[in-house]
Amino acid sequence: MTVHSFTFSDQPLDLEQLRGSVEDRSCGGYVSFEGWVRDHNDGRQVARLEYEAFEALAVKEGQRIIEEAAYRFGVTQARCVHRIGLLELGQVAVWVGVSTPHRGEAFAACRYIIDEVKHRVPIWKKEYYVDGDSGWVNCERCASAALDSDSHAAHGHHHADHSQDPAVSALARHPQGLVAPDYSRQQILAEVGPLGQSRIRGARVLVIGAGGLGVPVLSYLAGAGVGTLGVMDGDSLDASNLHRQTLYAITDVGRPKALLAADRLRALNPEVDVRPYVEHAALANLAGIAAGYDVIVDCTDNFSAHFVINDVAVTLAKPAVLASVYQYEGQVQVIDTHSACLRCLWPEGARDGAVGNCAEAGVLGPVPGVLGSLQALEVLKVILGIDSPARGAVIIVDLRTLECRRIAARRAADCPAHCVPCAPSPEPETIELDLRLPVAGWTVVDVRESAEVAAAPLPGASLHLPLGRLLDDPAQLPEGGRYLCVCARGLRALTAAKALRQNGRVAASLAGGYRLDP
Amino acid sequence: MTSVRIQYYALLREQAGMSRETVQSKSTDAAGLYDELRERHGFTLARSQLRVAIDGEFADWSTALVDGAEVVFIPPVAGG
Ligand SMILES: [Zn+2]
Repeated sequence: MTVHSFTFSDQPLDLEQLRGSVEDRSCGGYVSFEGWVRDHNDGRQVARLEYEAFEALAVKEGQRIIEEAAYRFGVTQARCVHRIGLLELGQVAVWVGVSTPHRGEAFAACRYIIDEVKHRVPIWKKEYYVDGDSGWVNCERCASAALDSDSHAAHGHHHADHSQDPAVSALARHPQGLVAPDYSRQQILAEVGPLGQSRIRGARVLVIGAGGLGVPVLSYLAGAGVGTLGVMDGDSLDASNLHRQTLYAITDVGRPKALLAADRLRALNPEVDVRPYVEHAALANLAGIAAGYDVIVDCTDNFSAHFVINDVAVTLAKPAVLASVYQYEGQVQVIDTHSACLRCLWPEGARDGAVGNCAEAGVLGPVPGVLGSLQALEVLKVILGIDSPARGAVIIVDLRTLECRRIAARRAADCPAHCVPCAPSPEPETIELDLRLPVAGWTVVDVRESAEVAAAPLPGASLHLPLGRLLDDPAQLPEGGRYLCVCARGLRALTAAKALRQNGRVAASLAGGYRLDP
Repeated sequence: MTSVRIQYYALLREQAGMSRETVQSKSTDAAGLYDELRERHGFTLARSQLRVAIDGEFADWSTALVDGAEVVFIPPVAGG
């Protein structure tokens, strides 16, 4: 029996019992995490803590995180329990436990769950200090919830208190002080809204290259409130950079760009966790760093870096937004596991020196500015789940003529980057998911008969293809998709998934089927 | 003879001295067309350093030319 659960407890946690609940004979590894109540925070002596949650919302988001971890890392059992109520020093505030077939996934999934829970689940902490004072802290979602007046009211505490107490939050500690980031202009968009904003906040984006392309990417993503922003650049600022790299000042010349950018971005939005890496991207260092991010943005200016980034992104199955410029032109390409990568197009790679970079060929500042802005936009589309024509294609922009051209690109069967990850970790034949939550990464195929569908329609988007018609020709479902077959009990769905898999499709069936009263 | 519309980018545009042209080609495939144009404009890039797209889609060099096709030659671009 599979456990994928996020819950709250108002009682001290029984760790033995929790550990037992995720034991699994099919698993070779178990990793757990305990978050403890410690005796100090921000230089103040803490005596005890109180946790409060907006449970309806919090459980939903927590459950989503667990499902994401299960989906991403192939977790068999995963559970997270968070305390609410009054806690004494040394008590366990949050517990995460995961069991997986192999240890690597267990570590990664456990880390993912605790990080995401910290970021995304609306839980508030009140610290009682030794000196008798107290204050609410970690109200990370207050700003993003500001528009969402329902959930805001339900917080049950007063935000005015924050501005009175200099120690209480990252926002208040900021030297400019007291002004909270305001995402209202983007949040008004139907595609963003409070849910989209929380996705942006939960996103971890690694930007490689903090130059002409990287500067607009970093600025817009920090402004948008991307939760974690990695900045990787081994170069120091040169005076010749400034005509196109507008984040920097002439007095900054000579200093490492990753550190300069980090300073400016933190000043722009103190809510963003900015992580600078003063190093060039190479196979040796990039995979380890990129593993901790959800989206990779290639803003480098040379072929060897482009291909390293491409190969790492494909290998780690991370979506990546690539761009490059040449004088008045630029190219943008969004890659993910299902669409063409750089090596699908250029299997041999390309040599630096053959076609020129900015130093050799010259460039007007706004050209990388435009292309970098496009990249920032594509990153937000990836995070928000908005489809883009830059996926599976190269977009060529000619800024002299202001013409834009889309050239469709197919994944090459013999692509050297895709080959290895192409032999993917075999997907399980059946998976467990709650269809009432958004299903990420799958096209849901409803294989029930029309009458059944009419009687109990699936809650989310799905493709309706009764089993008989599916079996007539399983290859009618396009290659490259990931199909989650669903029926009432799971048997027809399993047959459908098997037929699809025999036809080279990635497919699984929903364990137990879909019922109205789960 | 096949009439095709050509679009050049980056280095090719510079070396051709134009963004686009319509040519009457005696070549039967994209490879032949590039060789023909390379001769005419003195392109330095070899075919193996380029990709060709026909009617909005990346194509093989062996793709046959048809009248009225729109052909784009794309060199890789690295700057940032
Ligand atoms: Zn590829």
